[in-house]
Amino acid sequence: MNPLELTLGIMTAVGGFVDISELVFAAKAGSKFGYALIWVFALATLGIIIFSEMSGRVAAVAKQPVFNLMRHRLGLKLGLLTLAASIVSNLITCAAEIGGVSLILNYLTGAPYVLMAIGMTAVFVTSIWVLPFQWIERVYGLLGLFMIVFAAALVAICPPWNQIGGGFVPQVPAGLTNKELLTFGYFTVAIISAVMFPYEVYFYSSGGIEEGWGPKDMLTNRLTSVLGMALGSLLAISILASSAQLFGPVNVDPEIPGSAALEAAIPFGKWGLILALLGMLFAVAGAAVETCMANAYSISQFFGWVWGRHKKPWEAPRFTITWIILFLLALAIVLTGVDVMMLVEFAVLFSILVLPLTYLPLLVLAGDKTYMREYANGPIAKVLGWLYFAIITGAAIAAVPLFVLTSGGNG
Amino acid sequence: MRIFLLSVLLLSACSKGPNADLQYIKQARSIAAEWALVNEQAELGKLTPTYVESLHRWLRDDLQTAISSLSEPNSPYGDQMKALLAEPPDTAAFALRARAESLKQIEDGLESA
Amino acid sequence: MTPDGPIKLVSQLLDLPLLDSEGKYCGIVDDVELRGRPGQDVQLRALIVGPSAYKGRLPGWCMWLVKKVAGARETRVSMEDVRTISSVVHLKRPGPELGLNKSENAARRWLPNKGAL
Repeated sequence: MNPLELTLGIMTAVGGFVDISELVFAAKAGSKFGYALIWVFALATLGIIIFSEMSGRVAAVAKQPVFNLMRHRLGLKLGLLTLAASIVSNLITCAAEIGGVSLILNYLTGAPYVLMAIGMTAVFVTSIWVLPFQWIERVYGLLGLFMIVFAAALVAICPPWNQIGGGFVPQVPAGLTNKELLTFGYFTVAIISAVMFPYEVYFYSSGGIEEGWGPKDMLTNRLTSVLGMALGSLLAISILASSAQLFGPVNVDPEIPGSAALEAAIPFGKWGLILALLGMLFAVAGAAVETCMANAYSISQFFGWVWGRHKKPWEAPRFTITWIILFLLALAIVLTGVDVMMLVEFAVLFSILVLPLTYLPLLVLAGDKTYMREYANGPIAKVLGWLYFAIITGAAIAAVPLFVLTSGGNG
Repeated sequence: MRIFLLSVLLLSACSKGPNADLQYIKQARSIAAEWALVNEQAELGKLTPTYVESLHRWLRDDLQTAISSLSEPNSPYGDQMKALLAEPPDTAAFALRARAESLKQIEDGLESA
Repeated sequence: MTPDGPIKLVSQLLDLPLLDSEGKYCGIVDDVELRGRPGQDVQLRALIVGPSAYKGRLPGWCMWLVKKVAGARETRVSMEDVRTISSVVHLKRPGPELGLNKSENAARRWLPNKGAL
């Protein structure tokens, strides 16, 4: 295990953890409910760690990415349904990320939103064409580390650390009205969805194969998933906690993604603002690339095409054409003028509905000794895996009613 | 046919009025508060002019959308929201906070009703 | 698992990816061809790859959509060309020799082959 490679892998995971959905929901959750939803971020992060580790392990041992296995385990009909649902979910998410990047560039430079959407899509296509896989991951992931300014900003505003610590304990705030309880429930479901987005697992497992992982990389896989996701989650929690401290008391319920940058501007001034916007830009840009590539991986793997960015683009032509078309489709959604916040809401809603179908085959396969040999799920992974499957299934069932009853969390 | 018409009437009644507009009142209250925070921080020199201008534009766009979505735009809360939109972008933070506070009172009143 | 041993068609073969002798993906086992008569042993003759093989596995309206999008291709891979079956089906020869990956070659014509590091 190369320590430099491992460190870079972990830092990439940290910088790449936050996307537009986590940004939006962390800021809103803090302003609406104070520190009471921190435990949901922690719970969901443990879930994504468990499933990411499993998907990395399956990729390293069975040498198969999630979607190959998905079709084999679910069969053609259910597999196609899962593929269709995940394409829609990832496409909306990708559109939300492209919209988010365009907004952030508008905040930074004042350049027109539409022009930035078209320009950034061209940048994404070019960067994926030109750069090998490892550099695609690292460029966006490492530049996303500007997000650390949010953690620094939280420390700088001297928050009530005991209350933040208390937020890690599972709770429902006392004294909520029925409507507020439903909204709290909606935010719980939305945060679980935003943190455990299916594209993360598809991208992580395919990335493991792109990087040629084998059984010797078990420790790398474990450390990258655990440390990378846990530290990344702390950035999201910093956004929530700062929002609770700065926005909640002045009745701000962040209506636009750009308001989150105020959390760094308030303690650090203009430089804090610029660093926060840069962090948001690269984190969300990285997520746009990941969601698009995750979709292209899923489609290519489902139909048995040659895939992967470890090959030159013309060596995997159907895969290449697929991710280019997907970027153009996501851009088309953005150019319809639909509000980015609405895209985020729908991305989160569609994703939670797809999650049980995504994680079930992975859970079954990671425990199958025929493929996994001595690397199959142990008792802890089995128990936690099935527990989380029950949690995400419950969340998936509750998602649509809660969305309707709370007007998408707006009460 | 009678049952169908009754259902349509009931549904349309449910989708009108202050309760249906509550989410837009909340949105307007938050926009006023965010706007105030942006102007306050701009006054302290903590924000870039580009960021301030951009946020003003997006917040006012959202406010315009919220006003257009009201089922009763000529209600007292509708008038307050329109008055908020009519404020110049660089309105003093305290004035914007006063508008946010008055929308909050309407919001609290509707929620406790 | 070897191709001439006993095999569970659904759980161990159907919908597995195919990897040719050069390690390239060249489709999925979409269906299988069996040989036998009632009362006799059933033998696996070939693997069927291509959207046309979805017939019988998908509803009629779905097949109409599949045909519109992906066409009605079907390629037959004899079991003699199969080396082993594990989490993938390993083939003995390159995909193009077996009539696989034709669409991949057609798609390649649309892309420039330069600019990538």
